[in-house]
Amino acid sequence: MAKESYKGPLERVDDTCWRIPRSYRPDMLVDGLIFADDQLIDQIRADTAPEQVANVATLPGIQSASLAMPDIHWGYGFCIGGVCATDPLDGGVISPGGVGYDINCGVRLVRTGLDYDTLRPRLRTLVDTLFNNVPAGVGRTGKYSFTRAELRTLMNEGPRYLLKRGLATASDIDYTEAEGRLDGAEPGFVSDRALDRGAQQCGTLGSGNHFMEVQVVDQIHDAHAAQTMGLFESQVVVMIHSGSRGLGYQVCDDALAALRGVPEKYGIQLPDRQLACAPVHSPEGQKYLGAMRAAANFAWCNRQLLMWQAREAFAEVLGKTWEELRMSLVYDVAHNIAKLEDHQVGKVNKKVWVHRKGATRAFPPGHPEVPSMYRQIGQPVIIPGDMGRASWVLVGQPGSMEKSFGTTCHGAGRCMSRTAAVKHAQGRRIDKELEARGVIARARSWKGLAEEQPDAYKDVDLVVEVVHKAGISRKVARLRPIGVIKG
Amino acid sequence: MHEVFEHTADVGLRIRQNSFAELLAEAGVALFELMVENLETVKPTLLHHIQITQVEKDILLFDWLNELLYLSDAQQWLLCRFDVTIVADTLNATVYGEPRDETKHQLDHEVKAITYHQLKVEQLSDGQWLAEVILDI
Repeated sequence: MAKESYKGPLERVDDTCWRIPRSYRPDMLVDGLIFADDQLIDQIRADTAPEQVANVATLPGIQSASLAMPDIHWGYGFCIGGVCATDPLDGGVISPGGVGYDINCGVRLVRTGLDYDTLRPRLRTLVDTLFNNVPAGVGRTGKYSFTRAELRTLMNEGPRYLLKRGLATASDIDYTEAEGRLDGAEPGFVSDRALDRGAQQCGTLGSGNHFMEVQVVDQIHDAHAAQTMGLFESQVVVMIHSGSRGLGYQVCDDALAALRGVPEKYGIQLPDRQLACAPVHSPEGQKYLGAMRAAANFAWCNRQLLMWQAREAFAEVLGKTWEELRMSLVYDVAHNIAKLEDHQVGKVNKKVWVHRKGATRAFPPGHPEVPSMYRQIGQPVIIPGDMGRASWVLVGQPGSMEKSFGTTCHGAGRCMSRTAAVKHAQGRRIDKELEARGVIARARSWKGLAEEQPDAYKDVDLVVEVVHKAGISRKVARLRPIGVIKG
Repeated sequence: MHEVFEHTADVGLRIRQNSFAELLAEAGVALFELMVENLETVKPTLLHHIQITQVEKDILLFDWLNELLYLSDAQQWLLCRFDVTIVADTLNATVYGEPRDETKHQLDHEVKAITYHQLKVEQLSDGQWLAEVILDI
């Protein structure tokens, strides 16, 4: 299939923002705004993601603008990197496509008391142990198994349920977005098929772009914020990227099936059926929201159990308890989710449903939803890059509330298709190349590693530079991978 | 016959067969070839019956692949043979395979979902059937 590019208008707003004017299409209700610099905007034009930004601008009840972050790329219905806020009192809709198949896909960062030189002699053993102990890859089942009744409780309570089972600490919950629990979860709205798919998968990594990485803090850009998060140069940290596994995928799939014909029922004309949606206050909208929240709570439990297994592996290899190794959660943040939040639209304070699909919440200093420990510096934002170059820790800035409904980017963003990446890797040993760059990578499949090679992604440093300059989040620390576990 | 085609972050399957029933059977093979590097090692030691009624052919393909994906994820089965018959708008199939066993099956992609994006089923002027479907990986 020939790759299409975006042919519509893109007007420069300033050094970090471009506009698709509402006048571009008669069905657009608001402008589209894309955060990017001159270099990234050329890559962004190369696929049809900007057209998807314009499509989202047609959704009933959308507020201010249809937004996209600099890591934007094509997605189902909504682009990846898209942000859309809708007002339920203004006929606003909720759309499963604005959250994505992997509900509450997200990232967590765990600090350790180790520095790189101390770990280096044991790094290979550690990576092998993580690879053997942490279930990764196609449908790999976990060591934690839950009955249907237990799963329903887990989806209601989030990681607090794991606290009771000795698999979480109070501090783990304090440093998870929303304390790992969205109110209003309706596990009863999650289908049996979703439960069947998820029953054995809580505590498993999955495949695709999901990973567990051992990383080193290699640059500190904001000493005060880094210190507040317990980060220091040369420190070893662990980053975990996964979501709600088969359970969440099935919840999204069930919702898309249930929404067949629903937009028409409410008189909503859609430019793409993957934008399927329902008014927030409709029975169909409420049903999706109940199930989506349940899947989100499941995802926080998944990342909690992945972290727990990482702690166990570190303890096994280093012969100390994870507490002695000071393996505390820095923060866990979602990047595929919809949440009801307070925002100022024009001069009016409103409660809006913020859809973040491949975009990360980035609340500024002083926001009541930021844990008290971080309230002075702003909410930590964890940005996974690629497995050869870097990842980042940022903090939310006041500009995010003014410009992007409290949101920033979520990663590097792909710039090469999976098939192109595999072709690009023909005859090469990606694991050996990574090793030459100081990264020990273990994956279940060669193809998986080839598809996720660093060249398949934009340079995350460029993406982060844009959100930093735009004032929606600020650079705190750059992290360099040294050990990678992939499905 | 089937092939994988390029699609931004995910994977597309293009399938071409002489009849609609064969098209669906081949789509099953294509799905599991994405999941297992060495599908030839999967033996038909268990069987399962599937029945789906759906008027729209593209949605029938979607529902069929979704059912296979569910069996793979929930039952941890790998499937290698798909006997499909179509009568009016109803698909009847017997699928064969075995439980996933990592000691002999080289697993490849995890498919998150079958998508509606650019979903296509059509009969060509030469009588052959063509389908295109994009999978979220």
